[in-house]
Amino acid sequence: MNIAPFALLFQSVEDILLEKQRLQHNYQFLSYGLIVAWLILVVYVLMMVSRQNKLKKQISDLKAMLEEKH
Amino acid sequence: MRNKILYALGAIALLILIRDILGIAQLPDEKYQGAIFKIIFFHVPVAITALTASAVALVASVLFLVTKNFFFDALAVAVTEVGLAFLAANLITGSIWGRVIWGVWWAWDARLTSALVCWLLYAGYLMLRHAIEEPTQRATFAAVFSIFAFIDVPIVIFSIKWWRTQHPQPVFWGGGSFPKDWMPFFLWNMLAMILIGTIFTITRLRQEESQRELDYLRRLAHSM
Repeated sequence: MNIAPFALLFQSVEDILLEKQRLQHNYQFLSYGLIVAWLILVVYVLMMVSRQNKLKKQISDLKAMLEEKH
Repeated sequence: MRNKILYALGAIALLILIRDILGIAQLPDEKYQGAIFKIIFFHVPVAITALTASAVALVASVLFLVTKNFFFDALAVAVTEVGLAFLAANLITGSIWGRVIWGVWWAWDARLTSALVCWLLYAGYLMLRHAIEEPTQRATFAAVFSIFAFIDVPIVIFSIKWWRTQHPQPVFWGGGSFPKDWMPFFLWNMLAMILIGTIFTITRLRQEESQRELDYLRRLAHSM
């Protein structure tokens, strides 16, 4: 009995599974990349907001102190 | 008024990005690299934004040395800090892309190394500013350092032309291929990133103005 056609069938199933795995792996890393890129920018925005609040508070405290001295 | 303009620019950038992300998700996977190739829509625009920021920092630093106007010093530090954040995003997305395509997170080739050196130089610029107390001396030293740091930028850009690198040849100006119908998404994303960079820079610039006001109030409090 010639089993070559069956061997080919099994080979293609394995290939499809490998390809599916490769694609999933690809999507997984694409999402990691995008999440990290946006995370960096979001963290930077949060740092700026925190710095802004700190500056505002320091300025208003100093102004209040100067007014008291006057 | 200035706040309204900033919010409007931010809203435009967000709309462009949302529209682009939805469009990019619909695009088919690239023939050889698959889905990971789509990271190019962020990897390259953040790099171009970062390198544009370093060019602005160079011009601002030169103008500070010529005019001694502290606005240019504030602009240089604002744009450098924003550029550093974008370059970090570029390095990390590149590393993730490399992990899939090359099988390694990092390769010490000319492009990657020069980009890392560029990041370190600009991080050094910010550290230098923290180390000097006197404002005029700080601004002058920082401006000279920024001009020196910019020497690395052309090396980052042309490294893939000058040396054989693990990093591929440029997709847009050197034999690489980029599907033509993907181009509009790329250009819109580019515009969105530049807009975001501009908004960050203006916000950071205003913080420098507040910092200067704070320094003035401190001096006033000391003299009383």
